[in-house]
Amino acid sequence: MSVTPVTEQTSNLRIRQQPDKVAKRRIDMLPFLLLAPSILIICIIELYPLLTALVYSFQNGSLLSSGTFVGLQNYLATFSDPEFQGSVLFSAIFAIFSVVGSYLLGLGLALLLVQNFPLRGLIRVLLIIPWILSSIVTIVVWRWMIQDQHGTVNIVLSWFHLGPIFFLSDSRWAVVSVIVIKIWRSFPFMMISLIAALQTIDNNLYEAARIDGADRWASFRSVTFPGIRNISIILWILMTIWSVNDFETPFLLTQGGPSNATESLMILAYKDTFARNTVGAGAAVAFVSLIILMLLAILMMRFRNRD
Amino acid sequence: MQKALDNSQPYARSTATATTAATRQRNNNIKKWLLTLVMLVIVIILDYPIFAIFLNAFRTTTEIISTASIIPQHPTLENFSYLTARTNFWGFFTSSLIVAGLGTLLSIICAGGAGYVLSRYHKMRIVSNYSRVLMLVQMFPIILALIPLFIIFKNAGLVNTYYSVILIYTVLNLPFATWMFEGFFDAIPRELEEAAFVDGCSRFRSLRTIVLPLSGPGTAAVTIFTFLLCYNEFLIASIFLRDPDTMTIPVGIQMFMSQYSTDWGSLMAAASLASIPTIIFFLFVQKYMVQGVVAGAVKG
Repeated sequence: MSVTPVTEQTSNLRIRQQPDKVAKRRIDMLPFLLLAPSILIICIIELYPLLTALVYSFQNGSLLSSGTFVGLQNYLATFSDPEFQGSVLFSAIFAIFSVVGSYLLGLGLALLLVQNFPLRGLIRVLLIIPWILSSIVTIVVWRWMIQDQHGTVNIVLSWFHLGPIFFLSDSRWAVVSVIVIKIWRSFPFMMISLIAALQTIDNNLYEAARIDGADRWASFRSVTFPGIRNISIILWILMTIWSVNDFETPFLLTQGGPSNATESLMILAYKDTFARNTVGAGAAVAFVSLIILMLLAILMMRFRNRD
Repeated sequence: MQKALDNSQPYARSTATATTAATRQRNNNIKKWLLTLVMLVIVIILDYPIFAIFLNAFRTTTEIISTASIIPQHPTLENFSYLTARTNFWGFFTSSLIVAGLGTLLSIICAGGAGYVLSRYHKMRIVSNYSRVLMLVQMFPIILALIPLFIIFKNAGLVNTYYSVILIYTVLNLPFATWMFEGFFDAIPRELEEAAFVDGCSRFRSLRTIVLPLSGPGTAAVTIFTFLLCYNEFLIASIFLRDPDTMTIPVGIQMFMSQYSTDWGSLMAAASLASIPTIIFFLFVQKYMVQGVVAGAVKG
């Protein structure tokens, strides 16, 4: 980190001036050519539908006919609908607990995995696998684990003379189940991102903290956490966005039930559109979700730019 | 040498200076193996559902319900032959391969080009704006696009065809695939290309003859990552591929689950067959994939 990068940079500058001069005479078309397919497909699959959905949200159409203009009626009806309020609350609870749970589990494992011990590589790979399995496979096995009678969780609880808990038919336990499964699916991502961040911390800082007589907790607070603070904030926001956007985990587990207890904004928009055939209402819910997600994304960009 | 040792074991250094080097070494080894033991217990607890999928696939539903242990008492292939004989599992599998294969190809073409531009032309205005657009694509609630797309594709006769799903998957994959490509291209020294420019080589030619041959491992990692995203996707496939002939595995399993929710043997066999490609592919490129995904998510 001392001499080589400097010379590399200067030589870089010197050489780069030449193509730049050429570029002034003849415009380099390559970047436009290479970006064109991506921009085209984003316009077709997201931008155009986004604008169409905006129009739909002001109409009372169905999947078969476009309907007539009704102004803000869909939005007003949505905001006063208890089902919508419930889904906002569930999405918030789901996001907050999933982020906290997966972050703490991921951080704990990351702190263990940066130490040196035999079979570390193998253990790390085994701990990433929950993240790469498909949602449907995850839900199949978890539904088996939390069955009412023969489920593994209820069997373990019965050893301690607890339960049985009816995880999917009790409203509160259904919420807990969805969150636990979401944490199980997400902790590996937190873990590998935090391992990457922990590895960038200068070991001399730990040395210095030890010389100053810091115990483990003190050195975590004064060395480790400051080192992973920025990446942690980005991970929290990113994971919040992904949790609000997650349709599959709650839908495949409970379809939003029992009595809408696990109905997220995405499930509500889906049901409005594809089950109840009220496209205007579905589009309105989806737009409200977009605005919530935009606010989170702006927050994240602020933190990224600050670094 | 001493410094390298310290770097590799920040916590493990013993403070007791009176003990001999040999005992210190032995204590360290015992501590390390104890940590391995603790980690293995954690792995067994956290990965228990995964072991359960693969072991239950070899047990009959009656056995799964009657015993708590997941070790097969009488290992059987009954569940797999049931899937082959009584369900369209292999048809779903073929659909999944077609959709994921073509979706990946299109994603790689789009994201590869964009990733190169993001890596080499990042000073241009249009490129930094595009980078911001990708951030928005990443957080976009896809259900919002699916509502009009369903109506558009239905009128165009594209529902129950693979085209609809392939196009949407491409956009879904773009942000991560592009960021991963950007990271891998960044790792290829610019000096190589710049030397070629001095020799009068065009940008396009240097891309073809210098950058592409060097980006092999990176491309493999992005390919597999996007393949897995498409292969595992449920929501879009469930909306656009409703015909049993075009259904993908996740939709097929979900349909089976809603009809025979307690036929655990067949469900676990289907789940394990669906996961085998995922896990094998992941093991091949896990190192590159983990690097790329972390860089993509965190640096954006």
